[in-house]
Amino acid sequence: MRYVHLYLTCIKRSMISRLEYKKDTLVALSSFFFSNLCSLAALYFILQSIPALAGYSLPEVGFFYGFSMLPIALDHLFSDELWLVAYRRVKDGDMDMHFLRPVPVLFQVFAETFQPEGFGELILGAALIAVCASNLTVTVTFGSVAVLFVGALFGAAIITSLKIAVAALAFIFKRSGPLLQVVYNFSNYAKYPLAIYPDFIRVLLIFVLPFGLFISLPVDTLLYGKHNPWLLCGAIIGCAAVFFALAVWVWTACERRYESTGS
Amino acid sequence: MIEVNELTKVFRKPVRGEGLSGMVKTLFSRKYEETRAVDGINFTVPDGEIVGYIGANGAGKSTTIKMMCGILTPTSGSVTIDGLEPYRKRRQVAQNIGVVFGQKTQLWWDIPLIESFKVLKEIYQISDTDYAERMDFLGEVLDVTRFLSQPVRTLSLGERMRADLAASMIHNPRILFLDEPTIGLDVLVKEKIRRAIHALNRTYGTTVVLTTHDMTDIEDLCSRIILLEKGKILYDGALKSLKNRFGNLKTLTLTVPAEIRAETAPPLSPELTLSEEEGRLVLRFDADRLALEEVIQYAFRELRAMDMKLAEISVGDVVKTILSQQEAAHAEKI
Repeated sequence: MRYVHLYLTCIKRSMISRLEYKKDTLVALSSFFFSNLCSLAALYFILQSIPALAGYSLPEVGFFYGFSMLPIALDHLFSDELWLVAYRRVKDGDMDMHFLRPVPVLFQVFAETFQPEGFGELILGAALIAVCASNLTVTVTFGSVAVLFVGALFGAAIITSLKIAVAALAFIFKRSGPLLQVVYNFSNYAKYPLAIYPDFIRVLLIFVLPFGLFISLPVDTLLYGKHNPWLLCGAIIGCAAVFFALAVWVWTACERRYESTGS
Repeated sequence: MIEVNELTKVFRKPVRGEGLSGMVKTLFSRKYEETRAVDGINFTVPDGEIVGYIGANGAGKSTTIKMMCGILTPTSGSVTIDGLEPYRKRRQVAQNIGVVFGQKTQLWWDIPLIESFKVLKEIYQISDTDYAERMDFLGEVLDVTRFLSQPVRTLSLGERMRADLAASMIHNPRILFLDEPTIGLDVLVKEKIRRAIHALNRTYGTTVVLTTHDMTDIEDLCSRIILLEKGKILYDGALKSLKNRFGNLKTLTLTVPAEIRAETAPPLSPELTLSEEEGRLVLRFDADRLALEEVIQYAFRELRAMDMKLAEISVGDVVKTILSQQEAAHAEKI
């Protein structure tokens, strides 16, 4: 409870920081919106010239794409500071202030920034899902909708966990940004149906960097009833719990190696 | 109470070649060099003491401070703050210490100062009454009230340092670590900061460990100093006995008529050295061996002094002497 209150206080602080630079905030919000709009437009034009992708129609691919934006947007809202930690803050010895306060360092990193840009992606993703779904005939069941919610929510937790673990490596290597970028970019694969990939990428996307597990499989379940929704929910929640526990463990182990800089 | 026991920190760095080709070679080499930044030091600081931690740049002062406040984990040895090791029980220790790094601010850069304080109030779980009392105290001794509504980014260095100091004291820490709290400040601000440290120590019995290159800070604030060089302690003890390390040295500076010269003046005793500095005659002697009265009479009678200034040797002079002796000894070994 204390931490919820503290988180809200810190987020208020972060919003005040953002509003110090009004124009900067507006530019960031709109540029995110437009960059997403551009990738959607590109997808639309490609699919216009190819009638179908591995048997998937335009609205189906659009639905995938829209759904993949949800967990990514949720993660984006809360954990953007990890990028700075991985790229710059550890290397610059800029983490000292967090080590001096009686609150876990990882908590402080999360409380440092709240990215309202994530809302843009969330709205765009939801809109895309709505538009595409209206062009599809789907038999909606309670289970298949539940699996979408679980996929988005716990999928975000899995992405965040991956980011925590990789960003933590910066405490050892001084900079882990490029590696974080590589891991994160795998989420691009998950924006399309798994069926279009060769087997080894499919295995990678389900068992190693499980973007496929919480994006493609839930959508397949909703559109074609491919998997048992409740089993899939269990798998996603279990996977998120394991990833999160591991990520916190890695972070705690790495944190002790922090060396700061000379002064 | 702070206890430091055989504390050592070794930094391990790859041996680097110069230039781009050297850097590329570094990627494939497994050679490392070790720097012993802090090398087996021991000391204890009892509650309520103000200790000056001094030494040349790179002597290991900041590294020690960072280990004492839980940022760095020691390679070997230990630090305990009231019985707890800060790098193991970081959160408990953090609740009881305040830290200022003169070179880096701990405040949020782009929000008004008062907002930073509000966040700190939540972080340290300070009650409303305690918070109000601390703000009154800090507003008074550090004079921060005037710029509370300004973003830290827009503060002058002197204001920022006072703000940082206030932020480090807001939770009433039992121990305060100050790493160069007066660096780059003008005389008036330095004075204000020293008075605040004194007031805090007197009012709340706060223990203070401070590093500085300003000897006036040391003479004004510290009853005890620890002198560090190349990661080892050269001296640990009262400021007074450090001054007396080379005897009770005094200098007497005289304005004399032009015809009185250092070389030709009638000598008083081999214990007294005479020299000319900036047109004045400077007499140096050990007051335990040569009576001050005798020297002054000599100055008036034999040297026909028109004006005089008596001074004790400064801590700065003593530290300079010790460090240069150390360096000379080191050079001889090589």
